[in-house]
Formats: sequence, C-alpha cells, structure tokens
Amino acid sequence: MSARQDLVVVGGGIHGCTVALMAARGGLSVALIERGALCREASGVNAGTLTMQMTRVALIPYALRAHAMWADARSWLGHDVGVVVCDGLSLAFTEREEELLSYRAGKRREAGAPIDLIGANAAREVEPGLGEGVRLAGHCKVDGYANAYLTGLAFHRALTDAGVTLMEHRAATGIDREEGGFAVQTAQGVVRGTRLVIAGGVWIEPMMAWLGVSLPIKVLINQLAVTERQRPVMRTVIGIASGLLSLKQYPHGTTVIGGGWQGVGDRERGGVALMPERLIGNVRLACHAIPALKEARLARAWAGLEAETADALPAVGPIPGIPDAYVCGSVHSGYTSGPYLARLLADLILEREPALPLFPIDRLLPPQAGRAAS
Amino acid sequence: MSARRLHAASPRVAVTIDGAPAMLPVGESLATALLCEGHVLLRHSPRDGTPRGAFCFMGACQECAILVDGIVRQACLTPVAAGMAIALKGAS
Amino acid sequence: MTAPLPFDIIVLGAGPAGATCAATAAEAGRRVAVVDEQPQAGGQVWRAPMGGFPGKGDADQASGDALRQRLVTSSATRLLGHRVWSVVRTETGYRVDTLGPDGPTALEAPSLVVATGAHERVVPFPGWTMPGVIGLAAATVLLKSHGVVPGRRLVVAGCGPLLAVVAAGLVKAGAEVAAVVDIAPRSAWLARLPAILGQPRLAARGLSWALAVAKAGVPMLSGHGVRRVEGGAAVARVVVGPVDAEGAPADGPERVFEADGLIVGHGLTTASEVTRLLRAEHRFDRLRGGWIPVIDGAFQTSLAGLYAIGDGAGIRGQAMASLSGEALGWHLAGRRAEAEAARGRMAAATPFSDAMAGLMAERPAQVRAIAPDTVVCRCEDVTRAEIDAAVAAGATQIDQLKHFTRCGMGPCQGRSCADTVQELMAARLGTTREAVGQWTGRPPLRPVPLGEVIGAFSYDDIPIPTPAPL
Repeated sequence: MSARQDLVVVGGGIHGCTVALMAARGGLSVALIERGALCREASGVNAGTLTMQMTRVALIPYALRAHAMWADARSWLGHDVGVVVCDGLSLAFTEREEELLSYRAGKRREAGAPIDLIGANAAREVEPGLGEGVRLAGHCKVDGYANAYLTGLAFHRALTDAGVTLMEHRAATGIDREEGGFAVQTAQGVVRGTRLVIAGGVWIEPMMAWLGVSLPIKVLINQLAVTERQRPVMRTVIGIASGLLSLKQYPHGTTVIGGGWQGVGDRERGGVALMPERLIGNVRLACHAIPALKEARLARAWAGLEAETADALPAVGPIPGIPDAYVCGSVHSGYTSGPYLARLLADLILEREPALPLFPIDRLLPPQAGRAAS
Repeated sequence: MSARRLHAASPRVAVTIDGAPAMLPVGESLATALLCEGHVLLRHSPRDGTPRGAFCFMGACQECAILVDGIVRQACLTPVAAGMAIALKGAS
Repeated sequence: MTAPLPFDIIVLGAGPAGATCAATAAEAGRRVAVVDEQPQAGGQVWRAPMGGFPGKGDADQASGDALRQRLVTSSATRLLGHRVWSVVRTETGYRVDTLGPDGPTALEAPSLVVATGAHERVVPFPGWTMPGVIGLAAATVLLKSHGVVPGRRLVVAGCGPLLAVVAAGLVKAGAEVAAVVDIAPRSAWLARLPAILGQPRLAARGLSWALAVAKAGVPMLSGHGVRRVEGGAAVARVVVGPVDAEGAPADGPERVFEADGLIVGHGLTTASEVTRLLRAEHRFDRLRGGWIPVIDGAFQTSLAGLYAIGDGAGIRGQAMASLSGEALGWHLAGRRAEAEAARGRMAAATPFSDAMAGLMAERPAQVRAIAPDTVVCRCEDVTRAEIDAAVAAGATQIDQLKHFTRCGMGPCQGRSCADTVQELMAARLGTTREAVGQWTGRPPLRPVPLGEVIGAFSYDDIPIPTPAPL
C-alpha cells in the first residue's frame, strides 16, 4: 500500500463511513481503515433512535437535516437500514418531570424541533399502548428509528460501490506526519494519504495523541436491551422527560429498550458487564410507559460505548495546527445527527462551503499546550 | 406424534386452551401434557410462519414458548396448574 | 432492591457435577448456594420423575435419588426452579441474579462454580423444524422423567450412546421403533471397544441396550443419516440414506419409513454461556464439544474465583462430572488430600470418557453438507443460503454474521445453532473455527419475562440517573 490516497479515514463508524463515502463521490481517492468490521461499535449497537427529543438543543438544526437524510437513506446510501419515520413522545409522569419536559421541549422548539406539548388523552391517541400516569407529553412528528445493526452491511456495500479502499480488520497503531501528508501505521503496513480524518469514536482521544493533540473524550457505557418478537404493542418512539428511556418496537416485533443507563466497561475493554439493578431500572421505566411489554421476554442486553467531549458537543472540524487533518465524532445522539455532520465535513474537505457551521475543536483544547506545533 | 403415558396420570385440573375448556394432569410439564393430549403443533415460527412443536423438552430451544396467563412461558418448564389460560393460536 | 444474599460458594447447575460439588463443600462446612432451573436436582442424566410418574426404578433413578437426598441433608441452600439471568463480577467476587417461583433473588460469593452441562447438537436437515421431530435428549426426559412414550411409531437417528439408550427405552416401553439410524459406521464403535471395555459396568449396560433393540427386530442402519422429514404440521415419513465415514451424504438407495415422530441427536455441545458472559478465556476443542473454558488443574478459569466442572467444562460424561464436582468441592473446602484423591479417580476414567466423547463430537463434513434451503437458525428461520450470502457480503466473524442475518438473535440465544453456524462460516471462509470465533456472551443468560424481572415497584422508587445535558 504505497500509493498515496487523497484521503485516509481512520475509523469505520457512521462518521468515518459517511465522510469516506461523500469524499469518494466528490472525486477523491479514499482509504478507510477500521480495526474491526464497519459499524460494529457504537454505530451498530446503539438503540437506533432518530429523535429530536433526546438531541441537544445546539444540534437540532443538524438533527432535522440528518433525519431527512435517514428517511431518504435508500437514495444516498442505497439501503434503507430499516428506517421508520413515526411520531415520538417524551413522557412526564411526575410534577418534576412535567417541569423538566416543559422547559426542555420549549428550548428544543425554539431551536426548530416541531415539538408540541400535549395532555394524557391526546398522548394516548398518538400511542394507544401508553400506561397510566402520564401527566404531560412532548409530541414530535419528526421522530423515528433505524435498525442500527444493519448499518455496517449498508455502508459496506455503498463504500465498495463508491470505490473506497476498505481496510477492515486492520488496526491503526500510529500516525506520522510526513512530506505531502500523513502515514498511518498498521500491522499490515503503512497507509499514506494527503489528507487525514480521525473518526475513531471513543478512541479519538488516543488517536489524537499520536498527532500530539490532547483532546479528552469521556467514555459512556450505555446499556441496551431487546425483547424477543412480540405482537404489536406500540407504534411510536417513546422517551421520558429526563431522557433516560428510549423505546421502540420494530416491524418484526422486537422492542429495543435504551436510555443511557450506565454499565461497566472502558475504552480498552469495551462494554464488559451490565449492572443488573440498572437493567431492571431501565426495564421498569419501559414497562411503566408501555405495560404490554410485561408479557414479552428479555432476549438480550448489551453495552455500547458513546464518546462525549467536555461540553458534550461534537468534535467535527479541522485539527488546529495540522493542515489537512480533521476530526469527526463525539456527536451526542450521534446516530441521529452523524451522517449530516460527517457530510458537512466532507464538504469542507472537498472545498465546498458547508451549509451549517462545523464544531471546531479549538474550544476543547488547552490554550496552547495541547496543540501541536505546526 | 401420538404420545401416551406409561402411568396413570395425576389428577386432572381445569384449564383453557385457546379459550376452550380442557382437563390436564396437575404438576405435569405443560409441554408433555399438551403432547399427550394431541397438541403436537404449539406455534408458528415468527418469520416464516412454519409449524413448530416442543423440541428439546429441557428449556434450551424455546420452541415451546407459548402464552400462559398472558406471559410468554416455556411449556416444558411450566407445571400444569388449575385455571391456566393457555394460548396456542396467536402465540408467536 | 434488597442486598444480595452472601455465600462462600455459588454453584450454577445441580446435575451430577454441580450437586456433588455443592454437597461436598457444604458438608465440609462452607456456606453454599446451588441454583438450577429444574424443579429438582439431578441434571439431565439423573432427572427426577415428575407429574405423577413414579419413575422407572432403574440405576440412574437410584443414583439421582441418592444425590438429591445428599443435597437435602447437607447445609447447601437449594434454589431450584430458579432461572439465572445475570452473573456479574464484583469487587469481592460474583453476583448472581435469579428469577424463582417467588420472584427475583440476588446472591453473591467470592467463588462461583459453573456446572451448566451441555446442550444437544442437532445438525439441520430438511424438515427438522417440523412438530414431531424431537431431540434424543428430549426423548430421555420424556421416557425417564415424565413417563411418556412420544409417539406410536418412531424413527431414532443420529449418533452416540443416546441412540441405543433411547431405542431400548422405547422398545421396553412397548413403542414401535421403525428404525435405528446411526451415522457412525459399525467400525467406529469397534474402534472404541477397548476403551469402553475398560469400564465393564458401563460397557455391559451399553450391550444390554443394543441387545434389547436387536431382539425386538428393529432395523438397525449403521452409516446412515436422515435425508429429510416429510409431512406438514406433523411428521409423516422419515427418509434416510447412506453417509460416508465423515457423516456427509453418500451415494446409495434412500429408505422411507412411515412414522409419526423422529427422535434425533448428533452429540453434545458445552453450555458455556456463563463463562462466555464473564469473558473468561476459552479454546475450541472439537472432541470436548466445541468452545470450552480454559481451566487449570483445580478447575479454575482464567478469572480468579470462577470455576468450571462437568460437561460445561468439556464433554466427558456423568462419571467424570461427578468426580470433578467432588474434587472441586473438597478443593474449595480446603481439603487438599481428598481433592487429590478425586482427581486421581478422574484420570482412571479418562479413556472411557474420551471414547464416548469421540462418538458425540461434531462431524464437520456433515455440517458442510447442509442444503442451501435448510433452516439453520430455528428462531429466526435463517437458512444455509442466507448464511453463505452474508459471508459473501463481507461477514468474517460470527458476531458480524448475527448483525447481517439475525441468526442467533432469537430467544434461544444461539443455543440450537451456534456450533453449526460457526462451522458453516469457517467452511465458507476457508478458515478455522478460532478465526470465526464464538458469539459474545450477553445477559440475560436465558430469556426472562419483563413482567417478572421488574418485580413490584412504584415509579418514584426507580433510581433515574441525572439527565443528559440540554
């Protein structure tokens, strides 16, 4: 692998795959390096929720555009990844949650999310499967979900068709700057590129360190669970005001229960174990919201890693002090918004004006110490 | 598969199977009791809808998972009890 | 939620290995809890009679009764009818969460013994999902524990010692056995005869089973396998044909047997769910039933305080399981001399257990001959052709195949298909079973009803963590 690519992307999750896909379609030669298989970490094991009601306010304009991308995935990705667009409800069961919901829905609405606050009866019309005790609900018509585990298969086909040089099962072990670009070290040899995108999810932190840049990335260990197939018991995406529940039933009958309850794990070992009490807490919320879930059985639970910056906003943009190097990741609710943010970065790399501002990481770096000398 | 018992069945209790009254021996494994009453077919597979019956009789394969009193139960691990509402039709 | 109940040792599985280990350690003064999903101890081989069946009064029943009595007399806490759904490592050892008849229970102990036994392997063939097709092990449950003959006229097929056990049991119970169909050529049994004869009592039992079947005039077809089952909502006919020495179909005439049931099994695979869930080190050993936890001379896995014994640590059969339970029970009680003595007896029983394991090991050629349209994953109706297509689409590891096909995502959690699918993938990729890997262990260890796992609660008691930033 001595031929220099126009672009080398390190990390084959949803961000890296989308940047690679768009850059290749924009005419660049692209290599994508992934230590495992595509989208087998956060991008493949997340809950697949496409929602405005769990998205950070600053990301709403991006999430709305990303939602439209997902709904239209067949046209740009070539596969729909099981996307279903449906109503979403964020529920409040207590007075405190009511206050939280009113405030947060209001802020998201100001940012452009089409969220209405509705009462219990109206909420039950939207979702007949709801249990008792709902005091208030945020109703968003732009919600939905995808079948996250199909993401890797879809990108594998799209990237292959776009002519991207896919290097799966090939871990990057270091990155050197050299004349005319970058040299990414792997056990199977060096991969050279004129430009570089670091899109390694929670592993962005050690990858940035290779370039001498200190970008702290917190690792969240999100617990998730899925039921076996069951008769239809719900038809919306359900959350609660605090954001600690995400719930949707797929057309084939399984229901995925998430919400960011924390399991045991770290960057080195991945998700190691699920805390039974927290699993029970998460499942209690789910059954409280949709009581018919009680008749089904829990089939499987797992943990996925989520990357978070110090201000919980994305790290998407140029790497300060290192020309032609970019970072892309750490997007809160990244499955929803990821493809759009990655496309914006691809636009920047292709020297097109991004339609919305990126999230440059200058704000996250220490005044001078963390920056590489250029 | 017409199964038969090698012994006198334990006292029977009233249950319902798809709403119809039936009498099954109390304490017997529900999967075995249904088999002996001629219910070889317990459910259909959820994806292709092919007929299925109890297969491993020891709790591993999940083929005998049916709705009992509104909750999915493995019939082979569920002893027959009076008043059970057993659903074969409509169980996925 | 209440605090977990503290013990010195938690034993998962109350078969010959687990119950012996629990009783031995408890008798020696340790605080032991033993958990099993079945309502009575005894495991698969010594399963207690139930549902009004008095039992057959045979040697297995006597052994099981003796073990059950021993366990009752010991101080071990028995959690029977309890389904273990979560096992996690804690700072001080292991925490086990169960669902029992009275709801959720949590236990904790510094030592955890995994004695979860084996699952039966059934290599797929057309029609194997039809009602009326059951496992060989299933038939032993019905005959020995439930007192039920599972059909009017039955074909018994597959391989290993259970073939003869089930066929003889059916004949003795007065059932009509249409045929006994053994994949192994007669020579396979002969080759293992010296090892088998090293255990005169067991060899004599095997001989008596075979004689009972022969005396009843049942057709015995060696070197044959099931080609397909015909019928609709129930079995009507079983079609068999010759197989080669590796178990793959060979040229030769098919034979059709009218039957209302097929009893079939192709050996055993280890039930390694708990050690996989805890990320202990495993290795692939075809003779011992597939992926097995790596253990040291004192049955400890790669994780401190986690032990594996019995068939769950590699298929070796009941005699070895009981001995390993005894050896570990003494070991955990700090009684080195007794533990050493039990290990010595295990060494003496090894040739016989190896011979039996050889008859029950997976035959790769048989798996590789599965037809494209045949369903491999019963839960999700995933066919051989779909598995091959996923490999063609770029899946190289077993967890990835799951994402591509949903194979193994159903409620059996891959128990019925894992061994077969991994072999098919390795064959398609031209690689090893090690390279394909095994499915990552995930909780719950068995499916549990949501309505039960949540217990009774009020919404205000749910410990909702701090919300994410706005």
